[in-house]
Amino acid sequence: MIHFRQVNKHYGSFHVLKDINLSIEQGEVVVIIGPSGSGKSTLVRCINRLETITSGELIVDGVKVNDKNVDINKLRRNIGMVFQHFNLYPHKTVLQNITLAPIKVLGVSEKEAKETAMYYLEKVGIPDKANAYPAELSGGQQQRVAIARGLAMKPKIMLFDEPTSALDPETIGEVLDVMKTLATEGMTMVVVTHEMGFAREVADRIVFMDKGQILEEASPGEFFAHPREERARLFLSRILSH
Amino acid sequence: MPDYSILIEHWDLYMQGFLHTIKSSVLALIGSLLIGTVMAIFRIAPVRPLNWIGAAYVEFIRNIPLILIVFVFFVGLPALGIRLDSFTAGTLGLTVYTAAFIAEVIRAGILSVPKGQMEAARSSGLTYLQAMWHVILPQAIKIVIPPMGNQFINLVKNSSVLGVIAGLDLMYFGDLISSETFVTFDVYIFVAMFYLVLTIPLSLGVGALERRLARSR
Repeated sequence: MIHFRQVNKHYGSFHVLKDINLSIEQGEVVVIIGPSGSGKSTLVRCINRLETITSGELIVDGVKVNDKNVDINKLRRNIGMVFQHFNLYPHKTVLQNITLAPIKVLGVSEKEAKETAMYYLEKVGIPDKANAYPAELSGGQQQRVAIARGLAMKPKIMLFDEPTSALDPETIGEVLDVMKTLATEGMTMVVVTHEMGFAREVADRIVFMDKGQILEEASPGEFFAHPREERARLFLSRILSH
Repeated sequence: MPDYSILIEHWDLYMQGFLHTIKSSVLALIGSLLIGTVMAIFRIAPVRPLNWIGAAYVEFIRNIPLILIVFVFFVGLPALGIRLDSFTAGTLGLTVYTAAFIAEVIRAGILSVPKGQMEAARSSGLTYLQAMWHVILPQAIKIVIPPMGNQFINLVKNSSVLGVIAGLDLMYFGDLISSETFVTFDVYIFVAMFYLVLTIPLSLGVGALERRLARSR
């Protein structure tokens, strides 16, 4: 579904991604962890071309993402994205947030888009907020709306870029629960997170990154019990010890 | 006390000027909003040649006196064989000139919308223009209402440039009445009052709109 082959990315002289090789199959849940500045978010943002790669090859859903002739809007329909800061549209209601892309991009009728939106709002547990504005919701509720917004496009892949990092601890659980449900339903997911409990429980595979490189790729059982790399061990000891 | 008999005796002329000033202002407002929005998007869009066009427009136009831009339409175009009446030439000049300032106001508004908004919109498959129209501009507009109000008020006052090229506006008829009656000061006091009739409600309207949008977020 997603294949990175020898992908490199530079920001000017800064080498953000170094020789990335990574394949993610359909239905897989891959969790990317690592210290800040290690390139995790950049890696995920390359998948829907919010960031461009400098060299190498990146194929998503059979499409070469960085090919000049690629219709990027068409590819992006199939890739939902959830951001750290939710990025809901503040001037639109919850319902309008969710129906905008289905109506404008997929061309579905307003009625059908609303029904779909309500279905996903039920799914994330806040159908009663359909007519509220984002500013009236808690962080956890906003992020669940953002997930519903992504799902309403019926994507093949969902990307999560630190979806719980901006949430207060009490609401993290409700967002993770929604993500767990998605994972069990077979959604292909790429998740950047610092939630080790979620990674251990839900991931099919853990990817550990540091300084723009993938240092380790393993099943969660293996990774958390016996990290091979010294850097990964250090990272885990710091993050799990408190 | 100004001599009100001047106002009463020349009421028709004042009204003609007043209506032309309104007409010119409204046309220039609509035109400059359109051109200004397009130029603002040109300056920001991820397409280099468009950035240059937008920047060239703004830097060139806003750094030339309004009267010279009006002359381009009134004197310059006829030299090329395109003849415009003075009202049209003046209104076009006013439009082109004001658009440069509006472009800057709108550009600042667009840039003040958080980057994540464009990212969220684009990642859902919307095109750049769809994202601009449905997500970015509605948020930018709210931010730019106060500076935009300033531009509109300036626009109404700047329409007096039409007087210089016999554009049938308030200023033109003021001059006319003054040269007929040999009265100067009082004639122009009434001209000023007509401008205030337009600009003060505009000021208050912008303020009210600002407060309403602040509530609705």
